[in-house]
Amino acid sequence: MKKLAIYVEKEGNTLIDASYELISKACELKAFAKSSKDMEIEVTAVLVSSAVDENDVKKAFLAGADNFILIKNDDFQVFNQMKYSSAFLSYFHENYHDYILFPATPTGRMIAPRVTTVLNTGLVADCTGLEFIIKDGLLKLASTRPTFGAELMATILSKQSPECATIRPKTFKADFRNTKIGTYKEFPCSIENNFDLILLDSTKDEAQKINFDTAKVIFSAGYGLYDGKDNIYIEKLYQITQKLNIGFALTRKLVDLGIKSSQYQIGQTGMTATPELYVAFGISGTIQHIAGMKNSKIIIAINNDENAEIFKYSDYKIVTDARAVIDDLFEKTGAYNQ
Amino acid sequence: MDIIVCVKQVPDVDDIKWTKENNLDRSMMLSKINKYDDWALNWALNIKSKFKDVKITVLSMGPKPACDILNYALAKGCDRAILLCDKMFAASDTLATSKILARAIEKYIPNYNIILTGQMAQDGDTAQVPVSLSQLLNIVDITNAIEIVNADKNIAIVKQKLEDKVNIYEARTPCLIAIKEEYPNVFYPKIEGYIKAQNKGIEEYCFEDLELQREDVGIIGSPTIVYKAFRPEINKKTTEIDKDCSDFILELVQRVEIE
Repeated sequence: MKKLAIYVEKEGNTLIDASYELISKACELKAFAKSSKDMEIEVTAVLVSSAVDENDVKKAFLAGADNFILIKNDDFQVFNQMKYSSAFLSYFHENYHDYILFPATPTGRMIAPRVTTVLNTGLVADCTGLEFIIKDGLLKLASTRPTFGAELMATILSKQSPECATIRPKTFKADFRNTKIGTYKEFPCSIENNFDLILLDSTKDEAQKINFDTAKVIFSAGYGLYDGKDNIYIEKLYQITQKLNIGFALTRKLVDLGIKSSQYQIGQTGMTATPELYVAFGISGTIQHIAGMKNSKIIIAINNDENAEIFKYSDYKIVTDARAVIDDLFEKTGAYNQ
Repeated sequence: MDIIVCVKQVPDVDDIKWTKENNLDRSMMLSKINKYDDWALNWALNIKSKFKDVKITVLSMGPKPACDILNYALAKGCDRAILLCDKMFAASDTLATSKILARAIEKYIPNYNIILTGQMAQDGDTAQVPVSLSQLLNIVDITNAIEIVNADKNIAIVKQKLEDKVNIYEARTPCLIAIKEEYPNVFYPKIEGYIKAQNKGIEEYCFEDLELQREDVGIIGSPTIVYKAFRPEINKKTTEIDKDCSDFILELVQRVEIE
């Protein structure tokens, strides 16, 4: 039997969705191992925290975890990368796992390299694909990630064990159809007090976080709408989305030009969105942007360059000046009445 | 006060060239300093401009041409430059790279107060080396840093941005800060700077100098291996529709919203 651990994370009082996504993905890997090598894999969710909500543990089981471990200490109320990683390691040293998956959240990416460095093993960063392959008769974790600004995909294996990867949130879907209730255990953990790092203040970023997760429709603005002055078409598009009560996004180039803050940015270095409908206005389709929206269900692109890259990824292609379409939509939705 | 800035020479990712076989054509690509590392340099030079007795050492691992970015850093006002260069180091992954950098720091720049790095490299995008390096040196790290509010020999106060949150940390030195945001005032290298840089020179150390184990560096010392590399595939059926498409879009919006 092999063991797979998932480092799960909390935000506020609840587990983040990426936790369940990874658990469900691990179950897929488990099924593959069973069918291809008749190999059993045990999936364990591991949380470093002061407490966990009972319902979240249930959800983790529904998503497919065999075990749920809480590495517990009251001191874990505030995140600290040194404390969290050494806590995980103290659990790991007593409970070896062959594979460890981490969510590629900012905090997950602070923990994972510390853990793998101590374990003297490899770590594949920010993966968007994960599978088992059989190589030389062994079951190997094959992690695929974008590199070179997402121009190139690389599939990476680890020579050392444990095999580890951080996985970008929203890459996989959580599936709460498991019926077997797993085992919950607590692992009390004492840690040295570490005064080298003090959190003086923590504030929510200026505006509310844009929630691309719940948006069914997103209209997105690209450099084609930029005019270097008042950028009236970007503003009009924004007003249309407010009127229709749908999501608004833009590309990195516009964020870099200071049009709106980076919380609206979709792409490799921004947010990932998978709405039912994504409409790209004047977006050429750099790989970096495509990486953030290509999994949308329906993609419509409007661009006056008929060879624009974005069309290759689109279900519907409209070769015209996006500004004309925005004018039309602006009229028809009555956005000008605002 | 001693500051180390780690820099990497990267191919220009905005100008990627491909061979006929769909491989990256590195020979055709211009190399430059990783953008985030350049920002780290500017933050370091800012600290130097404010306080007395600040010494900046710039450190890079790479082939000989990486001297270009070290000279650039010296010309901008850094005091000392170190290149770690050996064909044994080639193809090091993030763990092996971190081990090489950590050893060089322990051996040649042991009395540092702060290490500055870019948040990530533009070619690899892993953001793992700063964290791994901190772990090896057993120091505190603050990644995703958008502002160094203050820094002296003993304490660094740093603003960190994570998705929807801004944290302010006080870290006791020695510590590592990984920079994600540009410093508002850019320091440009001047011609006099380049002339001075020639006099300063670049210290160069190889595998033997660092007294590392063979199994710690390069392709042997890298636990990860690239199994395959490929360009993302697209297979979408695209339907072209009429220019007058606003009704079509609005209908789709409505249908999706009702579902």
